[in-house]
This record gives sequence, C-alpha cells and structure tokens, in this order.
Amino acid sequence: MNTDVVGRPLSRVESRLKVTGAAEYTADVRVPRLLHGFMAMSTIARGRITRIDTRAAEAAGGVVAVYTHETMPRLKQPTYRPFFKPFIPIQSPEIHHAGQPVAFVVAQTLEQAQRAAELVEVEYEETGRPLGELAMGVPFLAPSGPDGPNTFERGDVAEGMARADVRVEAEFTIPMHHHNPIEPHATTAVWKGSKVTVYETTQALGNTQHVVSEALDVPLDDVRVISRYLGGGFGSKGPVWAHTVLACAAARAVGRPVKLVLSRAHMFTSNGHRAETHQRIGIGATRDGRITALDHVSTQQVTRGDVALFNSSEPIRMLYDIPHLSNVQRTVRLDLPTQSFIRSPEACSSHAQEAALDELAHALKLDPVELRKRNWSSRNMADGEEWGSNYLRECYDRAAAKFGWSRRDPRPGSMRDGGELVGWGMATSAHTAGGRPGSGARMTFDVRGRARIQVGTHDLGTGTYTIMTQIAGEVLGIPVEDVLFELGDSAFPLSYASGASTTAPGVGTAVNRVCSAARKAVIEMAVSQPGSPLRGVPAERVDTGDGHLFDTADRRTRVSYRSVIGHGGKPLHFEVEPVDTPLGYSTGAVFVEVRVDPLLGRIRVTRVVGCYDPGTVLNRKTARSQVLGGIIWGIGFTLFEHTLVDPATARIVNPNLSGYLIPVNADVPDIQVQFIDRPDPASDALGARGFGETPMTGVTAAIANAVFHATGKRVRDLPLTQDKLL
Amino acid sequence: MPEHSRRNVLKSGGAAAAAVMAPLPDGPRPVTAPHQVRQAAQPKAVTDLTLEVNGERHRLEGVEARVTLLDALRERAGLTGAKKGCDRGECGACTVLADGRRIKACLTLAVMQDGRSITTVEGLARGERLHPVQEAFIRRDAFQCGICTPGQIMSAVACIEEGHTGSEDEIREWMSGNLCRCSCYPNIVDAVADAAKAVR
Ligand code: FES
Ligand code: FES
Repeated sequence: MNTDVVGRPLSRVESRLKVTGAAEYTADVRVPRLLHGFMAMSTIARGRITRIDTRAAEAAGGVVAVYTHETMPRLKQPTYRPFFKPFIPIQSPEIHHAGQPVAFVVAQTLEQAQRAAELVEVEYEETGRPLGELAMGVPFLAPSGPDGPNTFERGDVAEGMARADVRVEAEFTIPMHHHNPIEPHATTAVWKGSKVTVYETTQALGNTQHVVSEALDVPLDDVRVISRYLGGGFGSKGPVWAHTVLACAAARAVGRPVKLVLSRAHMFTSNGHRAETHQRIGIGATRDGRITALDHVSTQQVTRGDVALFNSSEPIRMLYDIPHLSNVQRTVRLDLPTQSFIRSPEACSSHAQEAALDELAHALKLDPVELRKRNWSSRNMADGEEWGSNYLRECYDRAAAKFGWSRRDPRPGSMRDGGELVGWGMATSAHTAGGRPGSGARMTFDVRGRARIQVGTHDLGTGTYTIMTQIAGEVLGIPVEDVLFELGDSAFPLSYASGASTTAPGVGTAVNRVCSAARKAVIEMAVSQPGSPLRGVPAERVDTGDGHLFDTADRRTRVSYRSVIGHGGKPLHFEVEPVDTPLGYSTGAVFVEVRVDPLLGRIRVTRVVGCYDPGTVLNRKTARSQVLGGIIWGIGFTLFEHTLVDPATARIVNPNLSGYLIPVNADVPDIQVQFIDRPDPASDALGARGFGETPMTGVTAAIANAVFHATGKRVRDLPLTQDKLL
Repeated sequence: MPEHSRRNVLKSGGAAAAAVMAPLPDGPRPVTAPHQVRQAAQPKAVTDLTLEVNGERHRLEGVEARVTLLDALRERAGLTGAKKGCDRGECGACTVLADGRRIKACLTLAVMQDGRSITTVEGLARGERLHPVQEAFIRRDAFQCGICTPGQIMSAVACIEEGHTGSEDEIREWMSGNLCRCSCYPNIVDAVADAAKAVR
C-alpha cells in the first residue's frame, strides 16, 4: 500500500470549481422552461384559515398558478421516518405554527412569484393562545423514540448521592438555535412524463427519494435526486421537509420545471431547529474526586403533533465512569415548528455536564483536568462495551501543555491583563460517530488504470470528495490524480444520510471495500496473465503502489495497473453492498481563554487550544478545518446565538442574519488544533472514525467555565450576553 | 443617469402596484385559472440595460426595476458565481466589484448599475491562471462548502486593493462583512494575508 496518501493535507479536489464560481449548487442548476416558486406563510401560530383570496395574486404579472389548501393537489403524509413534520402544509386549513406555508405561487420570474405571494390574502380564526416558550407548557415523559429510550438508569442514584462527600446542583437553559447554512434550501423539480428529477439541497439523497416517492405516489425508481455541491447543511438538510414535496407537486401540476429557493426568513420555520432546552443536573463525588452519582433531567420543546427529541443525552449516559446515574428526557408541547438535529446534537447535554463538572471541581478544590481524568472510562458506559480505542487522557495532557494550563491560578478573578479580567477554562469534547447503516459503492477501473468510484453520498464541505479520493488512492496504490470520486446522485449506490459523523466511517468503509476487491482482482490477473512480469508470483507476495503492482520479494519485478487491465482489454467493474458501521466515540480536550471587560461585561474568546482523537486522520487539512468550524460554532452557541420567540404570538422575531447573530471573522481568536492520529482498530475505514460533530462539544462549557474563572460569576443561561455579567 | 436607490424604486413600484390593485373585482371564490383573470398588477418600470460583466457586454432586455443586480446576474445573465444567502445585505455571499468597489449585489438594483463595469468571481482567473487570492484560498483551505467563497474572494480582492491587510486584526475587521457558516475564518485570514503579499 502507499502509505503517504491518507493523512496528507491534500487540497480539496473540487477546489478549483469552488474558487472560480464553476461549482454548480442546487439553485445554480439551469433548466429550460424553468418557472419560479415562492411560498406565502401563516402569520398566526394556532388556528385555521377561514378565507383565502388569491385573486390579486393570480392577477399579478407573470403568475402561472397560486395553490392553496383548496387547490393544491392532495399529497400523502410520508411514513418514511426522516420526514419529521407531522403534516404536509397547504393540504388543510389547520395552522400549527407561525411561518407555515399557506400558499404556493408559481410565476415566470422570481420577482413575480415573490410579489404575488405577498398579495395572497388570508383570514384566520385563532383557536386559543399559542404557546411559544418552554416555561409555558407542561413537561411530560414521551414514550421511547427511534433514537432510544427517554429514560436511562444505572445503579441507584439516591444511594450514590448518599455516598458523596460533595454535591453540586445546577440548572441550565439553552435557547432555540437555527442552522443557518449560507446556502438556502432549494429544490428544482423537473418532470418527464411520470418520472421526476429533483435537484435538491440535501444531506440525504435516499431520504428525499423515498419521501418524494411516497408523498407524490411515484415509484421509487422514478425519482432521481441530484445534489453535487451543497452549501452547508449542519443537519438542516438531513431530514426531508415539506417545501421539497410541495415544489415537486407544483411542478407536476403546472407541467413545467419549478425552482423553489427558501428565503432566509422561511428557513427559520421550515427546516427544523435546535429546541429550547432546560436541564437540571446534580452530581455527587467523594473528596478525592470520584463521581458517585449523577442525576440529569432535560426538558425540550416538541410540537402538538410529534415527540421526536434531538437534544440527546449520550454524554451523560456514556462518557464518564459514574456508578449511579439517572437520566430523563422530558418534553413540552408548543405551537412551534418541528425541532430536529443540528450540528452536534449532543452539545446541549455536554454543556450542562461539563459546566457542572467545573462547579464540582471548584467545590472540591481539585483541578478540572484531574477531575475528568479520575472519572475517565475506556468503555461505553451506556452498554459496558470497550471502545476500539480512546486516547482522551492523552488529549488532556497534550492540550493542557500546549495551552500552558499549569500556570493557571485557580482563584476566580485572579488573572488580569490591564483593565481586563482573564479567565481560563476547559472541558471534554465527545460525540458519538457512526453506528448507522453503511454505504454501497461501485467502481470502474478503466484500461488506462484510472479508477472511477460512485457513491450516492454528499459533501457538505466536510471533504467527502477529497478524503474518499485519498482512501481510494491509498488502498489501490495509485496516484490521486488517477481517481475520480463522484457523489450526489441517487442513481449511484446510496450511502446513509451525511450527518451524525457517519460519512467518513460509512462511505470510507465502502470505498475501502470496493477498492480492496478491485486491487485483489487485478493482482490475480497480474500473476496469471501470460507475459506478465508477475506471472507465477504468489498473489499474497504482491503489493501495490504508485500505479504499479510489484513483488515484495524483489521490488524491481513490477507491472503497472494500466498494463494489466489494458492487457485484459476491457474495463473492470466492482460493486459492494452496505454494511453497518460500528458505533464510535471521538473525543478530545479543549482549553479556552476569555477576556472580560468588567465595566461593560463584554466577553471575548482570545485563545483556544484543542487536541482530538478521531482515529486515523484522513486529511490533516480538511480535518483541521472541521475542528475550526466546530470550535467557532461553539463560540456562537455560547456567546451570541438565540432565536427569539415572542411569547404572546409564538412568532419568531429575528428570522434573519442581522437579528440572529452568528460569529463573524472579527469574533474569532487564535485557534490551535492537535490530533492524536492513531487508528481505531474497530474502524474499517483505515482506522478513521466519524469526527465532524465532536469539536463543537466541550468548547461551549469551556467558555462558560473560563468566564467563571475570570469573573467569579456562573451564568447558566445561554447565550452569555453582556447584560448577564452586569 | 437618474439617481435610483433600491428603496425608492421599490417604493414607487409598490405604490403603483397597490394603486392598480385596490379596486379588486368582486368575483367568484378563488380558483387557479390565471388566464381568465384580468392582468392587474403588472409593474410598469421595465427597462433594457447593459452591464459590462467581466469585460463582456451583457444586454439585458425588459428588466423590471425591482430586479436586483444579483438576480440579474444569476437568473438573467446566467452567471451564478455570486451566491444569494440572505437577499438583504447581511451575509456577503453576493459580493461583486462594481467599478472596482466591493458591493453586495442583492442590495442594489440592476438598473442602478446600468453601464457600470462589474467583476464577479467568474472573471478573476486569466485563462487557466488563477488570481493570487483564489490560489491562496485553495492552499489555505479557506472554504469548506464553498457557498460563501465567491463573496469572500471578491471581498478579499477589494480588501487587499483598499490596503486593509496591515495586520491579522485588520483583515479580520475588514473581512467581517462576509459570513461563513462553515467558519473557515482563520484560514480566510491566512489566505488574505498570503495573497496580499503575492499581489504586492
Ligand atoms: S445575499 Fe447579498 S448579502 Fe446576503
Ligand atoms: S465555506 Fe461554507 S459558508 Fe463559508
């Protein structure tokens, strides 16, 4: 095998297309006879439409059709699970949340469609006061969902608490968050007879294919979904949302291709969000810092029609070696859109646990790193299974050394620089990865020795194109220039959705398997082909590299892939079926410095050091970029991000990027990233685990812990805005 | 050239439309049969205009006054390099150069740019040779999904031209009008600093 392809900081293989504007994203796809769609949204949160008047809209210039619940073709509510919304809008007069589509306009131009949508007149009857905030509802325990049970017990919490010398208890609130990829959700539906091609912004081609098939009653094979470049997703484009189905239905009804691009405001009510969450956590420990018990209750929002919970509790259940533990996930029904997963769903429970551990360390007068090390576990504490590998303790040491943690004075408020208070905090990063269905793959080896691999997977900016090219080059032993990796088409063997850190392990395994099969077949050909220099050499003695096959006993005896396959005279085809990927756990340690202006309460993150254990690092460049992204998301989560809901109307009041603040360049400090980079033996993707979700976890609590260290104040309600420090 | 702003053009367009719209005929309940309905709200302000984009003349005919430069480029001139992230001046994905200055193409109307010279990301490379900013973005991995990248790159070209690359902090400040949700900011700063050196 080549040993220098995987891990190399290869620039993204699609780079040139992305810096020249040539990469074709969904909204860029040009289709003849295209019409534009736009939706009108409900202005109330709870009630029904009593009258809807489309005459003005229909009379507006360029309008082709205006569909309302009275005129929209009937659609079937999909049972396919990644359709999370419990209803399809524009099918009945019922209104379940503000910002629900009530009319779908199709016009010749975008401007005409937008204008006509404003002209749709709707009258409503409200059916009671809408509930928009967690505190307004009554918590209850929902039955187990597809992601497992909502309760989890280990040992006996009361007994564990009784054994503790020190106990801390704290409550945390985290507001609603939105994904806000810079690329809006977009669908272009093109029907040819009874078949449809859907250009879609999706992290899950298969989900879109199934849902469109079911909702529009089209055979699965007649739905083709294409998504070659995706402008970010962060979870929002993983499930299938109603607007996709509506765009397909409208295109079928008008008999012409329709493009629908959501507005930024639409994206606050159409594609899920991180639900507002309240958490109560109690931890007990002995004097020497052994945790005896942990008691955790989270409460998060669902709608009146569903109970799907995505702020999940894995860090509580899995991470630390805690003998007595209780975890309950409660829900409150509100008149808001359906919640969903968003980058690092485990970040909420991680935040509460890691911030509470800091409180415990302070109460114990124990170094927070030492506290975590004393409760480290090599096993998945939820099921007792050993992880393939776990180098978390080394992450603590390496990141702490790089950060200079040993120079920290633990007393709050003790570190100053000029007029500013300086605080240092740390936390554990940890997120599950994989543990989902895997991926298929197919490959053609052409007579010139070039490999073309096709997988129905996705590149959200995560580097899929690049790392899969590297895996193929590595396994086959050919230069990456001779690998063409294609994705983004449901006509290819499908992968599972790209989310939950599953693409690297799932697709990586499939690419490894298909390339291994191809390599083996070509070796067999080389040792049996008449005239081959390797003829008669035992196959197991043959290795590959640099586009060649060679005898390991005498490396000068070699032949190129091109010559072996060329000799055979025809391209070779290979295909593998999906196999499930094992559940992995990618961990790390993150250290943060903040500076706080004591007069204004202004917090700046000024330094971050993280060290991570993702198994094998497939590409140091793209992996580092994913860490930067996660850390910066953590800064946004902790300091700025907040979707505000008006409690009187259950309407979102800041559905835009000037009211919903995400980090900008000037908010971002010096960030240093290290990797352990040792293969996980449990992974078939050359030792790589899924990793994308990990770096956002931990950093949120590390910031809050650093703010406590700087100021002596515990702010347990996010975001940590200036007013809360004054 | 008359002084148009997006605000006053949209206002007058809106008012005209509303005036035509007001006396709606009392008809039967809404049905979707547009061809039977009187065309009432056709905005009047339609114009032909010429944009010089990336050195090429683009004659755009029958463009409504309310069409932004961004939508004119994307939907009419077939140049989809500039991206739409928000359509209200918040994200910078639509940044282009107009007579050499960086502007947000969603915040200006196409008619307001009639006759101006526009540069989009498609116009930076010289044949096969990438612009130093493009090269630096690749080398430094200054993008992930790439959707903000056309805007970041155009902004970076202008930022260097404006002389706002004296320090990392200065670059951070002057590149803060371009959001990147993938959060490639540190790499963008490195790329801009690199390119500033190469351009000098
Ligand atoms: S699309 Fe123009 S600034 Fe966002
Ligand atoms: S690279 Fe994805 S938004 Fe900037």
